[in-house]
Amino acid sequence: MSDDLRLDLFEGNDDVSVEPAPPPAPEPKVWSVSQVNRAVKGLLEDNVEPLWVGGEIGQWTRSRAGHCYFTLKDDQAQLKSVMFARDAALLPTDPAEGMKVRCFGGLTLYETRGDYQMVARRVEADGAEGLWRKAFEELKVRLEADGLLAHERKRPLPAYPRTIGVVTSPTGAAFRDIVSVLARRAPWTRVILCGARVQGQGASSEVAAALERLVASELPDVIIVGRGGGSLEDLWAFNEEPLARAIASCPIPVVSAVGHEVDVTISDLVADVRAPTPSAAAETVVPDGVALLAQVQRSPERLGRGLRRAVQRRRVAVVDRLARLARGIERRLTPVRQSLDMGSLALERGMNQRVERQRARLKGLGGRLEALSPLATLSRGYTVARTPEGRVLRRVHEFGAGMRFHLRLDDGTIAAEAVGPVDPEGTDE
Amino acid sequence: MTDRENEDFTLEARLTRLESILARMESEEVDLDEALQLFEEGVAHVREAERVLSETELRVEELLASGETQEIEDGEA
Repeated sequence: MSDDLRLDLFEGNDDVSVEPAPPPAPEPKVWSVSQVNRAVKGLLEDNVEPLWVGGEIGQWTRSRAGHCYFTLKDDQAQLKSVMFARDAALLPTDPAEGMKVRCFGGLTLYETRGDYQMVARRVEADGAEGLWRKAFEELKVRLEADGLLAHERKRPLPAYPRTIGVVTSPTGAAFRDIVSVLARRAPWTRVILCGARVQGQGASSEVAAALERLVASELPDVIIVGRGGGSLEDLWAFNEEPLARAIASCPIPVVSAVGHEVDVTISDLVADVRAPTPSAAAETVVPDGVALLAQVQRSPERLGRGLRRAVQRRRVAVVDRLARLARGIERRLTPVRQSLDMGSLALERGMNQRVERQRARLKGLGGRLEALSPLATLSRGYTVARTPEGRVLRRVHEFGAGMRFHLRLDDGTIAAEAVGPVDPEGTDE
Repeated sequence: MTDRENEDFTLEARLTRLESILARMESEEVDLDEALQLFEEGVAHVREAERVLSETELRVEELLASGETQEIEDGEA
């Protein structure tokens, strides 16, 4: 390098070396500042291959034009650096001051100021993914502040969508996977693809626009937004604000499916449901047709059972009502029956008393009758004479001689014949 | 339920309705008249859902800039 430098510096001074005798007072060659700076700039640019430089970010300023000016430093030294807008636009975010980074770029000289500097084409922090992670966290914080990550915002997916919207690359594996899962699980559905570029600059806005067009078509019941696996940089569109906001404001439930199982993107966080892969998203949005058909086909049997139970319930209800009716009647009858019972008891008692009274009266009458009866007198030896017709014969003159009559004794009656009157003084009985 | 109403049901509405009919039928309180009605309605939904679910050809379309859709001939492309 030093040889080149010497050659370079003495270029155009051939006349000096041609002259053998030392010149008396040679005028020194005077370079203009511009010449020197241009020469040094050429030296730096032509002789130093682009390289990675590791260090810490000192100051970082982004101009209105999008150029970024910063210093890289370590314990002992600083290196002025610049990243022009075209490259800076690809940065997920600006690195923070003090952040350990590595920059890839070439060395040059800013002639106007004579500043030697690095023109960085890439800046990476904490390994390759640091800035992406930082941008991710920053966007996450902004979205969180707007409440867009709130769990309450998550809507349930329709259980049986008719039409499924898909926003992804028309040529990507993701779309093929989604279609094949849907064809297998839910062939009665309709898939509407709205294609978009899913990586590279502006992809986030393109995917967002495709999502909005699908919404405007008013066709889908649910939308899958996603792409297949790739590097963090490839997936970056799904970590950017335009798409995040579009998903958050989508009136139709959105399933986000980006990359592989391990990749979690901002889109995943904002969507109603995060699926680990596009295939999984397709599985999530539709039911399994075979199982569903089997379930539907079992329904008539269940309906029949329900109907039979309803019949059974009706029968039980009728029997129950009859029983209740019978119990009701029984309840109302009991007092009647009781009073009837008591009535008949009283009646019976009354009857008995009456019979008893009559019987007592009869007995009394009998006694009195007996007292009056002539039979009592007869039992003492008296007799009663009566004509056969029953007329009582009380006087002697009522008996004619030879008259037949009856004599009533205590224990019976005998027939008798009158002989004639007996001397009234002659006998004594 | 008339045929016209039956046609207007989406699969989702139909299956949701069927589920609620089954839930109602399997609850304890349906009287016979209602059960009969639900049974008939349920069977109609089953028939129609079965027809829809037996569909075998997935329709794959692309949304055009015009807002219309166009069938994608080869879904695997």
